[in-house]
Amino acid sequence: MNIGLYPKIAYEGMRKNGKLYIPYCITCILMVAIYYIVHFLAFSGVLIGIPGASTAVQMLGFGVYVITIFSAIFLFYTQSTLIKGRKKEFGLYSVLGMNKNNLGMIIFYETIMTWIAAIFGGLILGIGMSKVAELGFTRMIAAPVNYDFRISTDSVLHTIGTFTVIFLLIWLNTIRQIKFSSAIELVRSEKAGEKPPKANWFIGILGVIVLGAGYVLAIRIQQPISALFGFFIAVVLVIVGTYLVLIAGSVLLCRILQKNKDYYYKTNHFVSVSSMAYRMKRNGAGLASICILLTIVLVILSSTSVLFNNSEYCLTVRYPNEIGAFACTYGYDENLTDLGERLDDILYEAAEAHGATVTNNKTYYTYSICGYLENDVLQVTLDSLSDMTFIDYDKVAQIQFIDVGLYNRVFGYNETVEPGKAIVGTANDITLGDTLIIGDSTFEVSKRIDDRIDEIDPASKIAVSPTIYMIVDDVEEVAQNYIQYQDYNGEPMLAWYWYCRFDTGLDVDGQIAVANDLSAILNEELGPLNFTNYYCDSHENQRTDFLSTFGGLMFLGILLSTIFLVSCVLIIYYKQISEGFEDKSRFEIMQKVGMTREDIKKSINSQMLTVFLIPIVFACAHLFMALPIIHKLLMLMGFMNMPMLVATASVCVVICAVFYAAIYKVTSNAYYKIVS
Amino acid sequence: MSLLEVSGVKKIYKTRFGGQSVEALKNVNFTVEKGEFVAIMGESGSGKTTLLNILAALDKATSGTVILDGMDVGKIKESQMAKFRRDNMGYVFQDFNLLDTFSLEDNIYLPLVLAGKKHAEMKSRLDEIAEPLGITNLLKKYPYEVSGGQKQRAAVARALITGPRIILADEPTGALDSKSSDELLDLFTKVNQMGQTVLMVTHSTKAASHASRVMFIKDGVIFHQIYKGDSTDTELYQKISDTLTLLAQGGDLK
Repeated sequence: MNIGLYPKIAYEGMRKNGKLYIPYCITCILMVAIYYIVHFLAFSGVLIGIPGASTAVQMLGFGVYVITIFSAIFLFYTQSTLIKGRKKEFGLYSVLGMNKNNLGMIIFYETIMTWIAAIFGGLILGIGMSKVAELGFTRMIAAPVNYDFRISTDSVLHTIGTFTVIFLLIWLNTIRQIKFSSAIELVRSEKAGEKPPKANWFIGILGVIVLGAGYVLAIRIQQPISALFGFFIAVVLVIVGTYLVLIAGSVLLCRILQKNKDYYYKTNHFVSVSSMAYRMKRNGAGLASICILLTIVLVILSSTSVLFNNSEYCLTVRYPNEIGAFACTYGYDENLTDLGERLDDILYEAAEAHGATVTNNKTYYTYSICGYLENDVLQVTLDSLSDMTFIDYDKVAQIQFIDVGLYNRVFGYNETVEPGKAIVGTANDITLGDTLIIGDSTFEVSKRIDDRIDEIDPASKIAVSPTIYMIVDDVEEVAQNYIQYQDYNGEPMLAWYWYCRFDTGLDVDGQIAVANDLSAILNEELGPLNFTNYYCDSHENQRTDFLSTFGGLMFLGILLSTIFLVSCVLIIYYKQISEGFEDKSRFEIMQKVGMTREDIKKSINSQMLTVFLIPIVFACAHLFMALPIIHKLLMLMGFMNMPMLVATASVCVVICAVFYAAIYKVTSNAYYKIVS
Repeated sequence: MSLLEVSGVKKIYKTRFGGQSVEALKNVNFTVEKGEFVAIMGESGSGKTTLLNILAALDKATSGTVILDGMDVGKIKESQMAKFRRDNMGYVFQDFNLLDTFSLEDNIYLPLVLAGKKHAEMKSRLDEIAEPLGITNLLKKYPYEVSGGQKQRAAVARALITGPRIILADEPTGALDSKSSDELLDLFTKVNQMGQTVLMVTHSTKAASHASRVMFIKDGVIFHQIYKGDSTDTELYQKISDTLTLLAQGGDLK
């Protein structure tokens, strides 16, 4: 046989089935493009250096795996329904004398052609889109715009690799289907009619269990950083569970409905219930895919837009006053107290030189120590650990010691603490006993001031690891107990923090001028000393930064959501078209038997409405279950406002639902056209 | 008054771009009495399926009237058409037209469900006809699980279950082997003996020989008809064969 024959047959076969193959190819292209873009954003380093993007990068990196699993399941399923329609053709070829290997060759060429189209189309689209993303992003964060085309070889290779494996699996699966059926079975496969879907109790119940397990896991995760793996497992469980439930569980439901004779034998239910059983078996995967895409869109949209909405609040928490300054150094030095007080005076003076009236000033210093907190015991030594990655973030806590005299003076209280005792406060969700052992020293809790933490530092409640404030009799004495602790780099564990914040009563420009001036002074004073970190900034200056960061993230969110929604549209279109072709003859028969056009319209409507409501209902359930963990992840970026998250998520659901309804309307018209 | 009166029915098909027109039916006139078993014979392209579609109101005649039990089929509104068909006619198709999403039982129930009947009533009606049609044991099966003859029997049951005024059958043995054909034709005879009016379109002499009257259609007109009278199926078969031979030779029987 002529070698050139196979590609020709393969090409012709695909061309003749263009109405189904073109949407399939476009779906493949989109999957590849999505994979490339997400991989590019996660691993190419394009987002590095953008403040706050590290969480986004982490989530995107994790999204790559989700997309891999998702595209594998989805493309697999789509292709197997495509090939089902072509079995007769293959049967005919084998009747005409082709053997299984010849058929394998035809399928091979078909797969290769789809593969080429998908990889090339997808990469070109992906690279183009990623450039758009990059440009938009740099615009948002006001970085210099670079019109070079940045292509990440790594991402390209990963994309090609992943999709080659997926297509290989698809090819093998098709071969398997053809191998196990004889020529005559192939020819008859269409005529024989499809077996009625059996209610598979096992898979249906398994789906519910898997989905439930995913939900429980997602809700129970306490610490997003350490539990990112657990989160990943939860996401995979939910995806798999969604597929199982929609494919098998819904057939089960239809069968149960059919058992109820009074319900089933009604004009409205009769046709829709029985054809839904078939529909779900064939297109449950399509629905599950739509549902998962919708969930992704909802999660991305609601989390990025809530961050953007919340940037003002976040700013206020981080910069409660017009001017904020901070300095930090490691180790103990008796001169630090004097330095702290001198810094206060210098800064106030410099601010007043600008015409400021210093008010609401809260300037203080603390000694701080970190360690594992377990059962009210803070174990400070970390030197047994050689690597940061082994740190169990769930247990890490930070203690900040404040001198009682300083505390009274700055915050206007009149507290007294005896030696060996402490006034304790934390804004985080931890409970402490009456005795705390920090390193080798024991402190008795004499009073709790959890409700006053906002005065000390409002930002502590949005810190990732809990901060415990301990107001002690003599901070110098306490601090000296921790001099000997070192981390694995040989650096002292004890840290000295200096906080300064005040209002100026100046206008925006004045505030920014003061902040710049103070920065210079800090640099002059602390630069020569061994300070690890110091800065001074104004609330107003930070506002721009905050808006650009969160605006950038929101842009990214909208971009990704758009891509996912577009693929969602295509899947829906694909589903409608293929169902239309399947249903055409069925509706012709029903009309001949005496179903009025109105009946048909009504039955189609109710059926499509039910079928189309399922993904969005499931997506909402997924989103709802994901809210706690989204909230925890957003806490890393300084967000803490559950009601606002719920509200934003609801708005996103409404927006998506409207958009979804519009797609549904447009595509169902395509369906009607085919059927009637 | 006859059950079915067809007078002056004419059907012209226009090609897609309105150029040529084909006259499928020129001028068809006949009547069917209640309780008759009429076969309409003709070669492919003679217009017999077109005629049946017009009788079943699946298609509209260009001119002429079809009156079923006093109702002018052509004047029924489009919106009422499906209901009219459901209530008054049973249709048996060459290719069965069973829905593969339903079990045979549910396929048979379909017209009743559409008419909004209660399940108990449907059940008792089915019980009445399932036994004579020999499908009692097949009801739970799906169309793909049974043979062509069994499918066609289920289709007959679907046509019968509404208690129609007339059963229209389009080449009902066309897709069946000879044994199944015989069984089906015996079934039609049996149904007819129970008082059911049947009108069947076929090109099979064997099928037509079961009828009580055979009409021949050629070039869009009813050309000739034979009454069975007292003759047996075999005698009628012979008569039909002779007529067909003459028709093929272009003889004029009128």
